[in-house]
Amino acid sequence: MATRLQFENSCEIGVFSKLTNAYCLVAIGGSENFYSVFESELAGVIPVVKTSIGGTRIIGRLCAGNKNGLLLPHTTTDQELQHLRNSLPDQVVVQRVDERLSALGNCIACNDHVALTHTDLDRETEELIADVLGVEVFRQTIAGNILVGSYCAFSNRGGLVHPHTSIEDLDELSTLLQVPLVAGTVNRGSEVVAAGLTVNDWTAFCGSDTTATELSVIESVFKLRESQPSSIVDEMRKSLIDTYV
Amino acid sequence: MVQYNFKKITVVPNGKDFVDIILSRTQRQTPTVVHKGYAISRIRQFYMRKVKYTQTNFHEKLSTIIDEFPRLDDIHPFYGDLLHVLYNKDHYKLALGQINTARNLIGKIAKDYVKLLKYADSLYRCKTLKVAALGRMCTVTKRIGPSLAYLEQIRQHMARLPSIDPNTRTILICGYPNVGKSSFINKITRADVDVQPYAFTTKSLFVGHTDYKYLRYQVIDTPGILDRPFEDRNIIEMCSITALAHLRAAILFFLDISGSCGYSIAQQAALFHSIKSLFMNKPLIVVCNKTDLLPLDKVSEEDMKLVMEMKAEATKTVIGEGGESTNDEEVLLAMSTLNEDGVIAVKNAACERLLDQRVEQKMKSKKINDCLNRFHVATPKPRDQKERPPCIPQAVLEAKAKEAAEKEKRKLERDNENENGGAGVYSASLKKHYILADDEWKEDIMAEILDGHNVYDFVDPDILQRLEELEREEGLRQEQGEDEDLEMDEELTPEQKEALAAIRKKKSLLIKEHRIKKSTAESRPIVPRKFNKDRNFTSDRMGRQLSSIGLDPTLAINRARSKSRGRKRERSRDGDDGAMDVDGEHSNKKLRLRSTSRSRSMSRPPHEVVPGEGYKDSVQKMKAIKLARNSSNKRNKSARKGEGDRVIPNLKPKHLFSGKRGIGKTDRR
Repeated sequence: MATRLQFENSCEIGVFSKLTNAYCLVAIGGSENFYSVFESELAGVIPVVKTSIGGTRIIGRLCAGNKNGLLLPHTTTDQELQHLRNSLPDQVVVQRVDERLSALGNCIACNDHVALTHTDLDRETEELIADVLGVEVFRQTIAGNILVGSYCAFSNRGGLVHPHTSIEDLDELSTLLQVPLVAGTVNRGSEVVAAGLTVNDWTAFCGSDTTATELSVIESVFKLRESQPSSIVDEMRKSLIDTYV
Repeated sequence: MVQYNFKKITVVPNGKDFVDIILSRTQRQTPTVVHKGYAISRIRQFYMRKVKYTQTNFHEKLSTIIDEFPRLDDIHPFYGDLLHVLYNKDHYKLALGQINTARNLIGKIAKDYVKLLKYADSLYRCKTLKVAALGRMCTVTKRIGPSLAYLEQIRQHMARLPSIDPNTRTILICGYPNVGKSSFINKITRADVDVQPYAFTTKSLFVGHTDYKYLRYQVIDTPGILDRPFEDRNIIEMCSITALAHLRAAILFFLDISGSCGYSIAQQAALFHSIKSLFMNKPLIVVCNKTDLLPLDKVSEEDMKLVMEMKAEATKTVIGEGGESTNDEEVLLAMSTLNEDGVIAVKNAACERLLDQRVEQKMKSKKINDCLNRFHVATPKPRDQKERPPCIPQAVLEAKAKEAAEKEKRKLERDNENENGGAGVYSASLKKHYILADDEWKEDIMAEILDGHNVYDFVDPDILQRLEELEREEGLRQEQGEDEDLEMDEELTPEQKEALAAIRKKKSLLIKEHRIKKSTAESRPIVPRKFNKDRNFTSDRMGRQLSSIGLDPTLAINRARSKSRGRKRERSRDGDDGAMDVDGEHSNKKLRLRSTSRSRSMSRPPHEVVPGEGYKDSVQKMKAIKLARNSSNKRNKSARKGEGDRVIPNLKPKHLFSGKRGIGKTDRR
């Protein structure tokens, strides 16, 4: 079930939130509207935590995590670290990383088993990712973009990548990640997929500009309802062709 | 893609307003004052500027009109024809042409008069030339008044045209008047078209939007068409014909099988056949409406034949577009807008057919190759034996199962916010969802900075473990250390120990003393002996010190004492010592007498020359003293310390600077 929402008139909700299978981080906004959308969907299941990172609200782009752990950039303050440690369950390892590329969310895309990373990431960081998040790490690009974290979003059940990813790349990435992948857009044609979409294994949130077609692609590929990824090539094919071509 | 929006055309003022606008702007934006005394070149320049400025303004205004009105040849043929039907292309072009001519004329006028102004020889001539130039420009504008009025009317009408996108998915509804076209569009969209029980209720095109399979469809309701020759059709009918001719849409041909619209099925069939050339290459569906009055199977036989004929025609269009006529339902549909029977079926059939056709066309285009990757779902090939299961908490699955039954209402943070003053007033606690061992710890205040140190730099989750390690290490070292200590003690004899203690004591004392000295000597001035109140530096002490070193202090002490000044009385007695030695009988009385009788005259006179003062004789000294007294006289009077004293005790004495008199009223006191 995917929900459409906005953060203070911005549709780039993936920038202001981080959703995983074990927790959800939400930026501190002027009102509780944004938080409450997550709360109504997730509270009682996983902790929904309001936080800032390094004093900023662009938390989704700064941190990377899955159900095992959370990696924070070196700009995170001690108080924020403490706040997150207090708010997240003990099974989740919260770790601050001394990495030059401090927008970890843009450089790392991961689910609970596999992570794709920016090609220039430090070796130590790579080890940390493997240890803290408990994943296999692959250095990859997506459609020629090195910011893998921005241009793809995937869960343990499926993934959405940059619309210009070629079919061969799609197949290769899909084999690496071991989930079905589709090239697509969010927010009425935005190609920064991860900025407009935040997803875990059972729910997704996307920007309020997202069209019905985009939403149905998202729901199928992430298996959020009964529909399966194959429906994209079966039932929705015509609609997709008429929209894109 | 071109967007057709005629709502943004700027208002066209009528001829008189046009002139007023331009002239008042010239008046406001150019200099207005000119003097007879100005040089003639300046006067010419002044008026030339006015003429040129007026011309540019005219040019600008007229150009916006010409540019903003669409050129009928450049826009989509649908709009081109629609505008032609509504406003008559020739008339429209003529009006714009006149505006263009006026623009050129004004430009020419301005050029001529600027040239004339160059040769004007007086202020008066210049002025009359300017008046003439502006006057002629205004006359030109007044002459295009009717065209401007016409364009303004068109602008107002165009702004009210529905915004139809000619390229998007479109469903077009057509048929005889009063067959239920508008009722249908009201059923499937929210267009809210007026429906009345008489013909030609709908007089222009109306647009509504509907959704089907994630896509949005534009539904166009057209005015009814009568079956008559093309030339006889009125403007209202021509709107429909234009839409039918130019829009690549799915066409729903409405048929009133009950005949309650006032036209028989035969008449409607005739219309169908007369305009069927417009249905070429378009998905066509014949919709039999008003089945509530007369069901399709009760239609008389000859009428049924006509209907079947139409159906056959419609099926041809299906074959024409390459598809096969799979089932009849897709070509001939019956419905009733009154009781909503089959309305949705008609809509779905139309959408489906249109979509099929569009997809087929797009599949043939080159652009499809750029997008192929987006219709591809990459499925993973297994690369190892590892299981990568999704991780969905049990609670979610339970909630999903429960969802069907009932949705419990959780109190959200937003509700809290609204109860407590709304956004900007309410501030939620960040700590309330902390997961801690004890809930009471949640609101504990943690110090951030303590004694200038960042507390978190010292927070260490493994501190206990490390402490244990350290303690263990220390224990090991202590054991070793004790062994060593024992060995060393054995080596020392008691005497040596004593000596060692003495040495250490001395050393510590020295260090302490040195420290005191260092701290005091540098921070306070050296105190002269006579102010040494503590009497630290006595000759007794010197004696003690010397004797402790092992020297005889008597000589040194004596010498020091002889050097010291001592009390005055003692000194004077010292001077008499020799005399006393001579005659010891001198009594105290005599001494006292001498001390009291000592007179002023006994002291040294000022002019007496003392060796070392540097004077030759007493005369010279007297002179010098006099000189010094004279020179210091003035200084003393003005209370100065010396020649170098230039202090001004009060720079601005208040009594001189305060008062009721302002600066410059009278002389300063």
